[in-house]
Amino acid sequence: MSEYFIGKPSSFSIKILHEKIYELLSMNKRLDERDALSFREIDIKTNIIEKTDGSAIVSLGKTKVIAGIKHEIEKPFSDRPNEGIFVVNAELLPLASKSFEPGPPDERSVELARVVDRCIREAKAIDLQKLCLIEGESVYSLFIDLYILDYDGNYFDPSVLAAVAALSVTNVPIYKVENGKIIKTEERMKIPMKDFPVSVTLGIIKDKILVDPTLLEEDSLDAILTIGFDSNSNLVAIQKSNLGIIPENLIEKIIFIAKEKADFLRKKLMESISNG
Amino acid sequence: MENKGIKLINEDGKRIDGRLYNELRPIKMEVGVLEKSDGSAYVEQGKTKIFAAVFGPKELHPRHLALPDRAVINCRYHMASFSVEERKQLGMTRREIELSKVIRHALETAVFLEKFPRAGIDVFIEVIQADGGTRVAGLNAASLALADAGIYMRDLVVGCAVGKVDGRIVLDLCDIEDKYGEADMPIAFSPRLNSILLLQLNGKLSIEEFNEAIKLAKEGCMKIYELMKETLKKKYSYIIMEEE
Amino acid sequence: MSPIYFNEREIVLPGQLLAEGKFISGEGTYIIGDKVYSSQIGLAKYKDGEISVIPLKGPYIPKKDDVVIGIIIDIKPNMIDIDLGGGFRALLKISKRSEIKNLNIGDVIIGKIMYSGLKGIILNHEEGFKKIDKGLIIKIIPTKIPRIIGRKGSMINLLKKETGCEIFIGRNGLIVINGPSPNNEFAVASAIRMIEKEAHTAGLTDRISNFLKKWSEKYGK
Repeated sequence: MSEYFIGKPSSFSIKILHEKIYELLSMNKRLDERDALSFREIDIKTNIIEKTDGSAIVSLGKTKVIAGIKHEIEKPFSDRPNEGIFVVNAELLPLASKSFEPGPPDERSVELARVVDRCIREAKAIDLQKLCLIEGESVYSLFIDLYILDYDGNYFDPSVLAAVAALSVTNVPIYKVENGKIIKTEERMKIPMKDFPVSVTLGIIKDKILVDPTLLEEDSLDAILTIGFDSNSNLVAIQKSNLGIIPENLIEKIIFIAKEKADFLRKKLMESISNG
Repeated sequence: MENKGIKLINEDGKRIDGRLYNELRPIKMEVGVLEKSDGSAYVEQGKTKIFAAVFGPKELHPRHLALPDRAVINCRYHMASFSVEERKQLGMTRREIELSKVIRHALETAVFLEKFPRAGIDVFIEVIQADGGTRVAGLNAASLALADAGIYMRDLVVGCAVGKVDGRIVLDLCDIEDKYGEADMPIAFSPRLNSILLLQLNGKLSIEEFNEAIKLAKEGCMKIYELMKETLKKKYSYIIMEEE
Repeated sequence: MSPIYFNEREIVLPGQLLAEGKFISGEGTYIIGDKVYSSQIGLAKYKDGEISVIPLKGPYIPKKDDVVIGIIIDIKPNMIDIDLGGGFRALLKISKRSEIKNLNIGDVIIGKIMYSGLKGIILNHEEGFKKIDKGLIIKIIPTKIPRIIGRKGSMINLLKKETGCEIFIGRNGLIVINGPSPNNEFAVASAIRMIEKEAHTAGLTDRISNFLKKWSEKYGK
């Protein structure tokens, strides 16, 4: 509802709403009657855009993110001559919220893209060495493009889910190397995946922790923290994405809660990949 | 684009996807598909997939852009980078800027702008997958989204594209026909006003061909108009079913 | 009588011909010559020579004497800026310093529109203006507010009675619910969402009554 008002998010918070959110949390309840540590309903669909090499659309409550992947053949980075490349871009579409202005990617889109990138890169989700064609000359380059279509808080977690789900179903043409030249064949291969990272976004208000904040809750939170985990529960990304404080004595509890929730999300992710 | 010897219409008069000259691709339409906008719609026409969302009427910022006696429509037609065969760069291309303008003009005629002085109405069209006819399908989605938002309108705006392919005038070009055909003419009508609200030509047509194309376009648009009306009524059909 | 082309329970669409002849064009319609057309999606109505359309969804149009709920977004020496949502801002003139002592940015207020026109929206600072100290604030489609209130307040009184909640209603679609416990407040919020969705269906009052009775049985008052 905060987007119902002219004032941009965070320019003011509605006092009685802030108080109500805290009051409810003391009873382990939230505005949408969830308990403090529950995610909203999650829906993951893959292969919804035929013209891409891979795609997925994820709904987390009313937040909707679409991921599309396309490939090209490019020169690798000079310090990693035998590795494929991937680039993550994100756009907060003006369709999704009154608070997303049309225009070039703003700091929030850039932050989102970089956090998703770190989750995938640090978890070594893609086996980049299997995407090399000619060392130092030609490798697969994957463009992972994320679009937020509908925004009701927490675009991080569904974006990571959409990116990883899309990658898991992506297939690219197989290129042959003949006499130093790259030739496209009619066959296709799946992107080799080594891990399936997920992220969990939590909100903190005074001494209370909640998982998966909605848009309304975001304006009342003291801090928002996104944590990425790989399949072995290693931390692969952390981002505190708003102004505000995290009490030091809550950190351990936050990480513990996040890990449990990450396992839950990964289960949902793997289910949808095997079904889709 | 030069025709690389692809036969777009065969001896039986069937097009590359099996359609006859006056057949529309399968169309799917839905309203209220996005939660956070004031009105929204989703349109699929063949492989073309488009979302549209409307915000407003609302106070216009910056203030100096507001008009004292009517609302201002801000329209953005945009394509996702993965919507086209060859990945599109981020940001607005010149084509998207031009299409945003002509779509806006069509909507400005249909909406009662005078009802909301000093206000702004935002219309956002996002192409998720492009396979020809995106500006008219986008306009149809925008029209549905405006109606869904309860914005006062004179009529629904309905558009479709006609063109010339292998010498024949055909309805609703798909991407290949657009690329390798001789002409592509997107048109939008307001059936109630019996007027044309959007008209562009890419390619070459004789005057007779043009007249034939307009007639064919009108037929196609009327079919789509019926579908749009059905889509809007369907959303609220539960109200009718509750009769006691 | 001149021809009318719709029936009571038919959804009409923008551009649809509603009637032809000597009619007055009311809300949600427009007239060309002697033809009346709909300009919104809604239910068409004929009463006393006037054809109008009740929109199923639509923007809030601020009118004089409307009671509205808003958020204070700026406090200036002589004026308070209030955000009514839906893209509208209202102003409140301050005549005495004492009036604003307890008011802060972010506070929720309820007030009456004194003027709405070319100069903007101005709230009455003398009567009907109040700060709302606490409660659950929700937003619904403004065109459904009359149904939440009900004929002569029948619906809102039913909600208040069954749950013991204080309910503040703004014509701009904002509602604040203040009850003895969050459960009571959630019950009202759920009932309001039901009314918002089913506003034009028959038998709604009974369904809300049953819903509230079941809730009472489960939670007690």
